[in-house]
Amino acid sequence: MITLRGRSAAFELDAPLTRAVWMLVDRDTLTPQRHGRAFLVNEEEPPDGFALYFVADPECAPVGKPWIALPPLLRYLVAGDVVSASETGEYVRVLWRHKSPINSVLLTERCDHYCVMCSQPPKEREDAWLLDNARELIRLLPSSTAGIGFTGGEPTIYGDRLIELLRLCSNLLPDADVHVLSNGRRFADFGFASAWARVGNPRMMVGIPIYGAEPTLHDYVVQAEGAFDETVQGIVNLGEVRARTEIRVVIHKQTAPALPEIAEFIARNLPFVEQVALMGLEMVGFARANMDEVWIDPVDYRTELAEAVSLLARRGVKTMIYNHQLCLIDRELWPFTVRSISDWKNEYHPECAKCSVIERCGGFFFSAKYRHSDHIAAIPSGSARRRDVLPV
Amino acid sequence: MSRFRQLESFRPDTAQWELLPFRFERLNGRVLVTNMVGEHVTLAAEEFNELAEKRLPVDSPLVRRLRAKHLIRQPGDRSPSTLLALKSRTRYRRLAESTGLHIFVVSLRCEHSCPYCQVSRQSSDKERYDMSLETAERGLDMTFRSPSSAIKIEFQGGEPLLNFGLIEEIVRRAEQRNRNEGRNLGFVIATNLALLTDEVLEFCARHNVHISTSLDGPADLHNKNRPRPGRNSWELAVEGICRAREALGVERVSALMTTTKASLDRVREIVDCYLELGLHGIFLRPLSPYGFAIKTKSYSAYDAERWLDFYRDGLAYILELNRRGVPMTEYLSSVILTKMLTNREPGYVDLTSPAGIGIGAIVYNYDGSVYASDEGRMLAEMGDETFRLGHLATDTYEEILTSEALLTPLEESFAPSAPMCSDCAFEPFCGSDPVYHYATSGDFLGRKPESDFCRRNMAIFKHLLDLYESDPSARSTFLSWAGR
Amino acid sequence: MGETAPDRPASVELTFDAASHSVDAIQRAAYRFSDRVSCELVSGDVEHRCVLTAFGDVDLDAQIADFRTEVLDQVLRERIRAETEPIRTMILAQAFSKTGVVDPRNAS
Repeated sequence: MITLRGRSAAFELDAPLTRAVWMLVDRDTLTPQRHGRAFLVNEEEPPDGFALYFVADPECAPVGKPWIALPPLLRYLVAGDVVSASETGEYVRVLWRHKSPINSVLLTERCDHYCVMCSQPPKEREDAWLLDNARELIRLLPSSTAGIGFTGGEPTIYGDRLIELLRLCSNLLPDADVHVLSNGRRFADFGFASAWARVGNPRMMVGIPIYGAEPTLHDYVVQAEGAFDETVQGIVNLGEVRARTEIRVVIHKQTAPALPEIAEFIARNLPFVEQVALMGLEMVGFARANMDEVWIDPVDYRTELAEAVSLLARRGVKTMIYNHQLCLIDRELWPFTVRSISDWKNEYHPECAKCSVIERCGGFFFSAKYRHSDHIAAIPSGSARRRDVLPV
Repeated sequence: MSRFRQLESFRPDTAQWELLPFRFERLNGRVLVTNMVGEHVTLAAEEFNELAEKRLPVDSPLVRRLRAKHLIRQPGDRSPSTLLALKSRTRYRRLAESTGLHIFVVSLRCEHSCPYCQVSRQSSDKERYDMSLETAERGLDMTFRSPSSAIKIEFQGGEPLLNFGLIEEIVRRAEQRNRNEGRNLGFVIATNLALLTDEVLEFCARHNVHISTSLDGPADLHNKNRPRPGRNSWELAVEGICRAREALGVERVSALMTTTKASLDRVREIVDCYLELGLHGIFLRPLSPYGFAIKTKSYSAYDAERWLDFYRDGLAYILELNRRGVPMTEYLSSVILTKMLTNREPGYVDLTSPAGIGIGAIVYNYDGSVYASDEGRMLAEMGDETFRLGHLATDTYEEILTSEALLTPLEESFAPSAPMCSDCAFEPFCGSDPVYHYATSGDFLGRKPESDFCRRNMAIFKHLLDLYESDPSARSTFLSWAGR
Repeated sequence: MGETAPDRPASVELTFDAASHSVDAIQRAAYRFSDRVSCELVSGDVEHRCVLTAFGDVDLDAQIADFRTEVLDQVLRERIRAETEPIRTMILAQAFSKTGVVDPRNAS
């Protein structure tokens, strides 16, 4: 489990920092560029000219230059990573890990929903500086960046400013697959949906959750009246403007029994979406607090999951299963699974050491230590046929 | 956590449910309910009473099912009407895409003499019974006047390969015109394969022409239906299918069966015959009551109830094959399942409403007459010109498509306004067949209580719904067929 | 000579309260049964009278209960049609409107 922020071990700045966002550079990645770059020191004589220096060990801090000693848990950072530092130098937060295949950029912690299993519990406070940081981050990333995710809270809270950010991203990172998570309600305003589509980025997709086939269940899960009706309107509008849309269904105790009905609802009413992601629960945030209401062993919904996939995939809706250990789901569903847990969250159970499909399985969230299935069991070698583990 | 509200607080404030349009039929003590776009639920009698009398609570498993299927809504809900409108629009989209199928009867000549055949002349008089190039050109003019983005040109007869030269010309000229039009253009030859030469196959391969042929089943059955000098119709068909598949690819060769009284006890043998030839789709067709079939009394031998046994047994066998991992599609069921399980309209001309005549398909006869459907042409051969829409040499596209001969049957047979059909819960799965009803009862609408078309279709719908709900393996197969 | 009169087909008269059963509902039910029985309908202010006559060897008694149920179902269908006609019209209008299903005026 990798930490993403912490308190600096020590720091010495001659003046408050004039910028928050910094890309780390070292000897091997040194170029004449200095703007927005901070040098990552691990030798005697670091080069001159940088407005900020980061060091792992305060003992090695460069003399006569402004420096921050990284929080101990952030010493894994390497050149190409991007951090934000507080004005005084006291706090450091990781914004981008160059080596990670999937980076998600937090745009806000504010949200108009309050999902019972939320992994990023909402906070009320004004945090538009996160949006500002995101802008600076995009300006620092290499133009060949392959993918970027935007999450919250609810990013569409920013309205037009979000659209501007996405346009910036589209222009500066033309090769990046952009994935934005949203509850979709803002798109019920057709003007906003149109503006979204006008960003014109064919690599951009929005992921929107649906937790019921009708309002009562969905509104309960997201703890907001009228949510289902508006979210569905939003998805319809996105379909009308031909914006790429994914529907996500987090499977937990409340939604698992309704999974076939939800699948049928999507297949019949929203078949134009690009894909449907059926997702396993991450045991953090509210999910942990509400464990009694949301925890269910995935083997207990094997049937519902198989039925849901059948109802969607056979009628031509692209379906994917995320965050499920392979030993817990029917073998015929393995081709639908995706190794989706980002690497810093990956952990394995002792049972997995003997498993013949460990390379293919997504493993666990770190948070699985709080609760995971009682039925984790290694798949004996030879029992998995090659076609069971072909990726989607 | 105290900040989280319980599920109860998200229920509607009052049980003031509004009904959304629906229809119902009582089936064996339960009630089938369908919404405007054919989504269905089967309810217990008491559940249905709760719905009908609006005695529904604010929340219950039944309430959630009905709400999800757009049968009820709360006054404030917006998405149900938006979604029903979206689904309705999808279902009717094909109307804007008329006319998709253009049938060119390039020759009436044929060397078989099948008892149920509606047309055909045993003759070598090409002048009299072959379509001229001039007529074909006019047919192509009409074809490209259709707004449809996808156009299929089908060559029929008699035996169309007896006028293969014209087929070549039509294909070339259509391709030429399509360079400016950019339609999705397809061709198919409906042939008995007896005359399938290498030259024909080469041409089909080069121009992506599909082959459709008749295969009624095992040799004795097929040959009995299709007398030919030499009595070897089946051998020629089988050989032709194999050669065509090898030359054109399996996707471009299909077989259609015709059902006669002799077929009715042998459905499994017929399916096996298709399988042995590597064909993975079969259409369990009822016998149409037209042409020589009525003349030679082979229609009077036809028994609706026996055909249903034939269909149900054939379907059971095909489902069993699918369970064993042998892919096999039954096309009639698949058309209906598409209408039941998706919002798409498969455009099968005999099962749509408004009817497929003119809108879905149109026929240009060898002599330049234009007919609303293949069956309409067959009636004309028996002396009844009711479905003749005009003539290519004298009438324009507009005149033909707005002729009384076309509009009257379309209007009169329109199911949603027809007695009994307008109330029928199965209507979204069904269609109008004005030609059938005209041929059997004398008017375009028919009298549904007496109509074999109605009885047969209802039995099929009930059977498919029953299997869908009670048999998980059938359900999986049906979903795959519907999604094709 | 000595011929007996042919058996008259079985017939029964059913009455329906006019206040709760429309003529249209009875006619629709009669239409559905028209392959089994014929129906002679006389409408009235207080009650409608319907004479059912069986065809051929149809068992008339067996049809009576079903016919009554069908009339009630037609009355129900009538009510459902009336209640849902406005929303049905609105949905179809939306489906076929030129502006498309989504109303662009729903832009803030």
